[in-house]
Amino acid sequence: MLEERGLPTTALALVLPQVQNTRPPRALMTPFMLGRPLGEPNDAGFQRRVLLQALHLLEREDGPVILEHFPDDNPSWLDRPGWVPAVTLPPLGQYNGGAAWEAAFRAELSLVLPVWDRFRARFGRTTVGLAGQPPEAWPGFAAALLDGALPTVPSHDTSALAMRFLADDLKALYGEAVQADGGPPSARQIDQWFWYATVAGQLLIALRRVAMESDNNALKTVGGRFFVPTPFVPK
Amino acid sequence: MARLDDIPEPTRTAVANIPCPAFESTPFVAGPALSERRVAIVSSAALIRRGDKPFPFGSGEYRAVLGTWDNADILMTHVSINHDRSGFQRDLNVIYPIDRLRDLAAERIIGSVADTHYTVMGSTDPAAMVEAADAIAAAMHADNVNAVVLAPV
Repeated sequence: MLEERGLPTTALALVLPQVQNTRPPRALMTPFMLGRPLGEPNDAGFQRRVLLQALHLLEREDGPVILEHFPDDNPSWLDRPGWVPAVTLPPLGQYNGGAAWEAAFRAELSLVLPVWDRFRARFGRTTVGLAGQPPEAWPGFAAALLDGALPTVPSHDTSALAMRFLADDLKALYGEAVQADGGPPSARQIDQWFWYATVAGQLLIALRRVAMESDNNALKTVGGRFFVPTPFVPK
Repeated sequence: MARLDDIPEPTRTAVANIPCPAFESTPFVAGPALSERRVAIVSSAALIRRGDKPFPFGSGEYRAVLGTWDNADILMTHVSINHDRSGFQRDLNVIYPIDRLRDLAAERIIGSVADTHYTVMGSTDPAAMVEAADAIAAAMHADNVNAVVLAPV
């Protein structure tokens, strides 16, 4: 759409069928995961290779359409052998009712938050910041939803939106904490840990179930689509 | 979370078959050598500055991402939960390569980096984004941009 308006463009492409359908004037097809157009975090050399190959398409005169392929997977595509999560957690239990979930989640957060602080100190950043409430308030909010209430926070218009962004923040906080030390694990390793070994992951699965049974259509929609990725929805 | 080949069905098919606009023509705008290009980024990650309202689902709006913003204050509000976030958590540049562009400008490989970049909500119907495209293009022309890196997530 921008090229039609007189601007030369070059696209970092992640989904081949979409490139084949839309036929952008110039595209660099990469083999990276969705969510990583530059491939590898904290690897300026790798990112530079990707970006330069895409930029050099702007100098070619044999288009349209120009489609090149980036040849390499990003290094952390493979699982990191011997990776140990930076957070050590006790085995999961069985939790019934909001109060039990709240206590278990609060206890887990007390172990995760100090490690998250270490991540923030190391990387100088956090992507947590959408929920409109601090982590200490999350267990009570989630427990209220589990018990059928529709709590809200000032920064979001509805309970459904508040829970959607709390889910985003919760996954971000755990994803950051577990990466506090060492080189990057694969995304698969982080997902497996979060969805199978944490109270927080199990809590989101429980919240999804409650949301989808709710009479509140917004919560039903948000719960079904935005809490748990498809591979981790219990069969 | 996974690259396309590793997303289980039915999500993989849904992503692969997202309706895409069929453009009647394929424009191709020529330009000078890379060393004379002023480069801007367009990200589909629905980026916001910390404290701003997230993009609503399905929004056709665009927002500016200023070059003066601290990387640590840039958050992603893209609606999909099937995108990996772990790379972005460690490094903004894995979705929005602003520091890499600055490196290339410092080495004179590209001419310069635009003052302002732009972001939209990916997975939005392109028909809802015509006004956004008009506005982004006008602003880029005013900033003398002559190269755009499209960075979908």
